[in-house]
Amino acid sequence: MNLWRDIKGTLQAYAVTFGYLFRKPTTIQYPEEKRTPAPRYRARMVLTRDPDGRERCVACHLCSAACPVDCISMQAAEAPDGRRYAAWFRINFARCIFCGLCAEACPTLAIQMSPEYEICKRDPLSLVYEKEDLLIDGGGKDSDYDFYRHAGIGVANRRGGNADEYGPVDPGALVP
Amino acid sequence: MPTLTIDNREITVPEGTNVLEAARALDIVIPHFCYHEALGAVGACRLCAMRITDGKVSGIQMACMVRAKDGMIVSTLDPDAVELRRHVIEWLMTNHPHDCPVCDEGGECQLQEMTIAGGHGNRRYTGKKRTYANQDLGPYIAHEMNRCIACYRCVRTYRDYCGGTDFGVFGSRDRVYFGRVRDGQLESPFAGNLVDVCPTGVFTDKTFRFKSRAWDLQEAPSICPHCSLGCAVVPGARFRELQRIRAGISPEVNGFFICDRGRFAKGSTNDPARPRQPRIDGTPAAMDTAIETLRTRLAAVVARYGPQSVALLGSPHASLEAAVLLRDWAQSLGTTRLVYTAHAEQDRAARITGARLERHARSLNDIRGSDLVVMVGADPLAEGPLLALAARQAVRGGGQVAVIAPQPVELPCRASQLILPTEQLDAALHCLAGGAATTLDATARQQLEALREQLAGAQRPVLVGSSARLGGRGVNTLFDTAEALTTPERTIGVMMLLQGPNSYGGAMLAGRGPNFDMLLDGIEDGRIRALVCLESDPIGESRDPARTQELLGRLDLLAALDARPTATVARAAIFLPTRTGIEADGSYVSNEGRLQAFARVMEPGVPLRDTSPAGHPPREFFTETPGSEPWPAWRVFARLLGRSEDLAVLRREIADLDPRFAPLAGIRPEAPGSRLTTTPGLPHYQLDREARE
Ligand code: SF4
Ligand code: SF4
Ligand code: SF4
Ligand code: SF4
Ligand code: FES
Repeated sequence: MNLWRDIKGTLQAYAVTFGYLFRKPTTIQYPEEKRTPAPRYRARMVLTRDPDGRERCVACHLCSAACPVDCISMQAAEAPDGRRYAAWFRINFARCIFCGLCAEACPTLAIQMSPEYEICKRDPLSLVYEKEDLLIDGGGKDSDYDFYRHAGIGVANRRGGNADEYGPVDPGALVP
Repeated sequence: MPTLTIDNREITVPEGTNVLEAARALDIVIPHFCYHEALGAVGACRLCAMRITDGKVSGIQMACMVRAKDGMIVSTLDPDAVELRRHVIEWLMTNHPHDCPVCDEGGECQLQEMTIAGGHGNRRYTGKKRTYANQDLGPYIAHEMNRCIACYRCVRTYRDYCGGTDFGVFGSRDRVYFGRVRDGQLESPFAGNLVDVCPTGVFTDKTFRFKSRAWDLQEAPSICPHCSLGCAVVPGARFRELQRIRAGISPEVNGFFICDRGRFAKGSTNDPARPRQPRIDGTPAAMDTAIETLRTRLAAVVARYGPQSVALLGSPHASLEAAVLLRDWAQSLGTTRLVYTAHAEQDRAARITGARLERHARSLNDIRGSDLVVMVGADPLAEGPLLALAARQAVRGGGQVAVIAPQPVELPCRASQLILPTEQLDAALHCLAGGAATTLDATARQQLEALREQLAGAQRPVLVGSSARLGGRGVNTLFDTAEALTTPERTIGVMMLLQGPNSYGGAMLAGRGPNFDMLLDGIEDGRIRALVCLESDPIGESRDPARTQELLGRLDLLAALDARPTATVARAAIFLPTRTGIEADGSYVSNEGRLQAFARVMEPGVPLRDTSPAGHPPREFFTETPGSEPWPAWRVFARLLGRSEDLAVLRREIADLDPRFAPLAGIRPEAPGSRLTTTPGLPHYQLDREARE
């Protein structure tokens, strides 16, 4: 009885393997062949730009605070027009676990996960990306969003000039 | 002492406490903005709603506006109260610019916290927002009015608490504006407190603009080193740079506020000119080698000229631990030529203060509650700004301030001013004590007699003096006056403004020792051959810089330990770099004899912005931090003495050996500190011992 079951089990496995010999393979010949990951795939991050082509990142430190492995660091600076930006911005991809928490935390949609998964290097230091390495030309996902057109501190538009704002009040006016 | 029930828990609070405070005492934190411990409650923000059942005031009430009464039943979790709070925070947010990512307050913002605590998450309002124009308030404070929630804390701080007049609230309706009439630098020397007090990002520290997030800062409880009052501060550092300083909370000393010097003067920690490399005869050396060279060269001087040929000079800026070890080192070398201040007159004044303060000692909090403050020769805004602020609180509480000084003294409060030349201050003090002051003119005498009457009638009077202006003789007279006017019912308090954060500690250690002028005489006639300066610059700080400069040139050995690029450091044959109070643990004894510890905020090193041209950390690995050579001064002496280099052990040893410093054993920087008792019977520094040894 048991012997019969064992023989059947052995042959069945051969039968399955044999059956696959005549089907189209699901594996590909990487690296000669490459797959296109889904757009939501979480691989190395990029820094995107706003619709006017300016850096979106305002160096708010939220991504670095959210990152569970502390691999993002930056320094904020102020441009003459009052715009806050990253003087330098660095991600250590040797440490990143591609969890996507940084992209989720980003209030300006600057940092986004891209499907670029091929970033293995022999030298760990070459996995430390600076802002220049991270910046891309386009806006990525939600490319029409511009933080400064919503934050009411008068950088992209003059003060009180955003679509959802009244112009500055006159504190001298005492009319009820 | 009413007993009330909040959320089914009973608590007994002092009379006059409001319900919000009572809840806080039970660790129940209800969102609030306008209430502040130092400023009180005004009921402006409408956020602290609670339900009160039973009694005259029942229903939903602003907890900060209701006094705790016996038998009150309060609920903070009442659904109506919770809903009201949620609506109020939603209203407060309707005009908010939603710019937290670019706001420096973000991360330590009460508005962020209270919005979450109040339960407001989704914006429903879709209308347009109100906006304001900003003002340029000078180089220290940034202004972003769109973030304001009209809690009025800023005006209450600036105008009411600090006595500033050039800032206020304008406008009407929903257009109230907090600022100045015109753009321009805020005039009050306490303007920086707006940064701490504003619960939103309207006022932020411009010197810290966009430098770091609060959560990235290395912070530790510390003591301000800029004057002798010893205010609590919390410095914050990142990337080896001291980036900002905010006020610490110390109820007995500074309360909640500090002055702008304490906040914006960052001292030598980041100074690019700061000497960080140990040097022997101008050549860089390792710390160990430099210390050993100091030891052997001093031994050579001692062998040739005897131990008394070595003189040691401490400083009002060095930590108490370093000062005590300096004394121990002097003993081990066998020299009695040990001084703690290069300025002989200030030294004398400090020693007299240390010896005579005893029961007259008063804290800043005592001054805030005083009914008569008499300032003789003191200029608080220059020598100890928080004292001026404390005097203002005395006036606000119904007290009076009288000033006797060579020129009108600017104060943030009402004060009667009696102008007398410096040389007559002594006579004025005699006159206050009831002496016949024949050198004074009649009007002055009349005013002083009236003041004497006032002093006699005052319940909590304090005499304020200044070691810089009064000198040894004047300080002594001030104490005589305090004693003469003291009655069995009440003691006259004294607060003496001294030179530096540890002047008092140095004075306690100096005892009967010589002063620096005597050391100079010793150098002049060749008895003193070697001088070691601990964080002191005799060339810049002594009474006669030219003479000092000339005489230091005659020494066989000049050694200096310092963190500042001083003239003495430049001339020293052996130089040992020391750490600032930001980079080392230590303690100071403030001018009221209060021993307070400070904790290390960061390790020493050249700030990243100076070492890296690209601004970011280097792309190579190093194990050495550039500029990390400096040691805490106490560690240098511990090494020279062959003692433990563990501060906790050293503190215990100091406490065991010298009972005056007993509190040092278990001292904690986050604790309020304790006033030292000068041992009775310890010899007073003899005023008339003018004769040079
Ligand atoms: S993906 Fe995750 S681990 Fe990588 S940087 Fe973002 S938060 Fe950090
Ligand atoms: S969260 Fe976004 S905007 Fe903020 S620092 Fe990171 S990338 Fe820049
Ligand atoms: S400026 Fe700040 S402190 Fe002043 S009312 Fe507005 S939110 Fe309150
Ligand atoms: S009053 Fe003196 S100790 Fe206090 S913050 Fe100002 S300078 Fe520092
Ligand atoms: S704290 Fe009570 S109304 Fe603002």
